[in-house]
Amino acid sequence: MEMPISTSRPEIMYIDLNSCFAMMEQQANPLIRNKPVAVAAYDTPRGMILAASYEAKSQGIKLGLSVAEGRQIDPSLIVMMPDPDKYFDAHDRLKKLLLKYTSEVISKSVDEYVVDFRGSPAIRSGLGLVEIGQQIKADVRDRLGGYVKVNVGWGSNRFLAKLAAGMNKPDGLTVIDADNLREVYGRLELLDLPGINTRYEARLNMCGIYTPLQFLDSPLDTLSRSVFHGINGYYWYLRLRGHEIDVADFGRKSFGHQYALSEKTSDIFELRRLIMKLSEKTGRRLRRQGYSAGGVHLSLTFEDHSYYSKSLKLGELYSTLEIYLAVCGLLARAPLESKVTHLAMNVYGLKKNVGQLNLFSGTKYDLRSIARASDEVNDRYGEFTLTPAIMADMKDVILKRVAFGRVNDE
Amino acid sequence: MREKIDEEVSVVMYYSARRKVALPHVISWRGVEYDVGEIGYHHKVGDGRTLSHIFELVDKTGSYWFRLKFNTDNLHWTLEVVSDGNAY
Repeated sequence: MEMPISTSRPEIMYIDLNSCFAMMEQQANPLIRNKPVAVAAYDTPRGMILAASYEAKSQGIKLGLSVAEGRQIDPSLIVMMPDPDKYFDAHDRLKKLLLKYTSEVISKSVDEYVVDFRGSPAIRSGLGLVEIGQQIKADVRDRLGGYVKVNVGWGSNRFLAKLAAGMNKPDGLTVIDADNLREVYGRLELLDLPGINTRYEARLNMCGIYTPLQFLDSPLDTLSRSVFHGINGYYWYLRLRGHEIDVADFGRKSFGHQYALSEKTSDIFELRRLIMKLSEKTGRRLRRQGYSAGGVHLSLTFEDHSYYSKSLKLGELYSTLEIYLAVCGLLARAPLESKVTHLAMNVYGLKKNVGQLNLFSGTKYDLRSIARASDEVNDRYGEFTLTPAIMADMKDVILKRVAFGRVNDE
Repeated sequence: MREKIDEEVSVVMYYSARRKVALPHVISWRGVEYDVGEIGYHHKVGDGRTLSHIFELVDKTGSYWFRLKFNTDNLHWTLEVVSDGNAY
């Protein structure tokens, strides 16, 4: 079925905070504004850069470089460790101000929101899209600080809104509609399209598609059968034309944590200590959100670039101890011939707790009650006040981090 | 250069009933008084049931940046970090 380009008014907004972590640090500290700043996982030479200010980006300092590489490019690079509480505070403030305009505010990550303005009071009052965008930018300066800039993009679907938000950085306000769609695609490359990575680009190239305009003009049949081999071709066909296909919001499927070891090791006792801390963090989030889990997954990356990854399905996991023992079971099977450099674990098969009675209630085998009591102590006196003995002296190991993906624990 | 301090400091705080804001005004640290200039960011953090306010600000001369924590449980002020805005 052929579909024309959507002529709907582009009332979906995509808004993101520019270089969020670095810019929030510059907002907080006026002395580092207009200077090259990087927020890195660690401020040691091997620490990975997570965000760079525009001044740093303009010199080629970007996400994924090490601190040493960044400093090689610019010795005056200011390196800071992340301050997750500040970024979450900015995330919440941005959400609150967007909710003044419409209730349809969906968080995509710590620094991005999709806002559906269709039928909103702002639109009904007759304000233009550019006017609304400018008003929001002024609100951001007022609520988050004068140095904070956001990119605003308008489109008739999420894809075009995100594409628009990625243009004219660092303080963009771009509208893509049926009138300028072809002109916008004409200025871009395939890799500029959100969701098109190098593998998709190669697939498109193999079918003679080298530009976004050729992509747009490709028949549905070509996309479905030759390029994407299935329903994805249809989705791209609609997406490129401004029809909404990305509204499905998937619920949480797992809770997990990962850790890049500052000291590589193959010492099983040290690895178990790290797993205990990750299990406690995972367990706290699992229980806070009211879930129990049905399985665990562990993956290890070794110094020699080999990889170990195993999952285990189990009855029901709720307490930190249960999670820890299950992951240790997987660790026991791992070949520890080389030192571990990276450790990741998660629990999956989530089930909402419905308060089922426990056979061992009130006995020393009642792990649920112990976990809840321990959580209450930590809720009251602070994280890791009460910890298993194996976690002694681990206060500054595995710090609080901000995930790049969606912010789910709201 | 950014330096972790974690020392309790004396602070003069000012509350404006008109603007409904309470902000640090003067910081006294190691015998020197610093008048507060621009407040870059203010946010709250929780540690268990203890709520603290974090103020990140520069002194009026623009020489130093301070990260101050105000513990609402015991009403103590802690100077957490100081920086001169340079990398080293």
